[in-house]
Amino acid sequence: MSPQRNRAWFLVLPAVAVMGFVAVLPLLTVLNYSLHDIFTLESRYWIGLEWYEEIITSQRFWASLARSALFSAIVLSIQIPLGIAVALLLRSTRHPTLYLMALALPLVVPWNMIPGMWLSLVSPGGLLSGPLAAIGFDYKFTALHTWALIVTMDTWHWLGLVVILSYAGLSAIPRPYYQAAEIDGASRAAIFRHIELPKIAGALTIVLLLRFVDSFMIYTEAFRINAGGPQGATTFLSLDLGEEINGFSYGSAAARAMTYFLIVITVVWAFVQVTRRREASP
Amino acid sequence: MSHATRMLALAALLLFIALPLVQTVMLSFTATLPRDGVEPGQFTLRNYIHIFQSPALVASIGNSFLYVSLNVALCLAAGLPAAYAFSRYRFTGDRHLLFAMLAFRVTPPVVLSLPIFILFSKVGLVNSPVGIALVHCVFNLPVAIWILESFISAVPREFDETAFLDGQSLRGFFFTKLIPAIAPGIGVAAFFCFIFSWVEVVFARILTGTGGKPITMAINALFSFRTDTGLVMAMTVFSLLPGVLMIVFVRRHIARGFVIRT
Repeated sequence: MSPQRNRAWFLVLPAVAVMGFVAVLPLLTVLNYSLHDIFTLESRYWIGLEWYEEIITSQRFWASLARSALFSAIVLSIQIPLGIAVALLLRSTRHPTLYLMALALPLVVPWNMIPGMWLSLVSPGGLLSGPLAAIGFDYKFTALHTWALIVTMDTWHWLGLVVILSYAGLSAIPRPYYQAAEIDGASRAAIFRHIELPKIAGALTIVLLLRFVDSFMIYTEAFRINAGGPQGATTFLSLDLGEEINGFSYGSAAARAMTYFLIVITVVWAFVQVTRRREASP
Repeated sequence: MSHATRMLALAALLLFIALPLVQTVMLSFTATLPRDGVEPGQFTLRNYIHIFQSPALVASIGNSFLYVSLNVALCLAAGLPAAYAFSRYRFTGDRHLLFAMLAFRVTPPVVLSLPIFILFSKVGLVNSPVGIALVHCVFNLPVAIWILESFISAVPREFDETAFLDGQSLRGFFFTKLIPAIAPGIGVAAFFCFIFSWVEVVFARILTGTGGKPITMAINALFSFRTDTGLVMAMTVFSLLPGVLMIVFVRRHIARGFVIRT
């Protein structure tokens, strides 16, 4: 048990001060704005929850929310299993570090550059356009193609993170666990289900959270590929929000931002509750 | 799974990762607009020469380095003591504070962008690398604390106690004992702060309207009616290099950073 020492607060003080300035203060400002009708920042009128009422009664909001949720669901259900599979595969290679380094490469590419790289790949003259044409696939910016491209691009971008974290979890499993399983004659599936999965649960929690949030707020990538088109087919929540901020409707944008924040925080909170409960039960 | 299938799967994976990168490097050495008597489609070094001849592009590389280094320094300076406190002591509100940190890591930047712009323009932090370095702490400081906390917790408590029994002060212990002991952890934390700050664009855009543009925004500014794709790709290659160096630097520890208790 760690000693109870409130002097430890002095040690977290610098971190709390920085976060207070760049995170808490802005968040409170957003909350305040969301309750006002704002003409200029000097002249604003208290209107209470009217913006929120407008948002939850608008068709557009629910459509964007559904698109964002669908996108996160697709991305998570592809990247998490694939990432774990690759991590397991790397366990049996001779130079896992080399593969991990390669997988980390997409992580260091500035976010606004990734769409350009992928667009030039599928555009005429790009490396992929030939093979795609050979199998009879012609890339057009239809809704389905745009979705497929964004999902592929996002998987390319983030698979490395899932693999790195899963691999980290797997590496922490002591050898004797496997030896014991071998003596018991456990199948590969049983080893995964009863040894590996529980051991990487901690790392997976972080992966799931990060991937959920980052996919739910995908902005630059989707914007660059098709600006939310065609006909709004890839207009996610964040794109809607960006449009409002650019349109200088601050009050409405702030209310949208708060709604957005509340959705994310609720999901994260529920997730943390579930994992804590599971940890508490034997 | 047989050996051959495994190799095939790994080869497919590497191909998938490599394709966009190869395309980018190829385009960066290709003339994409007819200029200087070079036909489009030809091999050329012009794109790279163009970067060094453009003061705005060179300055943007400097700006990026400046704010990313500042951010890493800030996250480590504020994160180390906090991580130590979370690892070694129980104190009032510690669990809540950790959850609050998590909450801010998962707050989408778009949500905070508007008030941050207004707040920063009041205190003169717009168009300055310091402003971006500060605002990137929203998501980097929590990450730094998580990683450092897991590395500090891996060091036995007796390590601290011996140092304190020898009469060392907390500050002396930090610099002479703790920091050398968790050096790989500091490397990993710095790596993640570095790349998350380097690739971020939402805050970087709103905080650099006229001056202090980072490399990401300089690339954005290259897009026009007739974009010189080759030049954009050459800049993209440049924007990749520091990250690649970081990967090489922390390669042995990269997979350890996030073994974290939740």
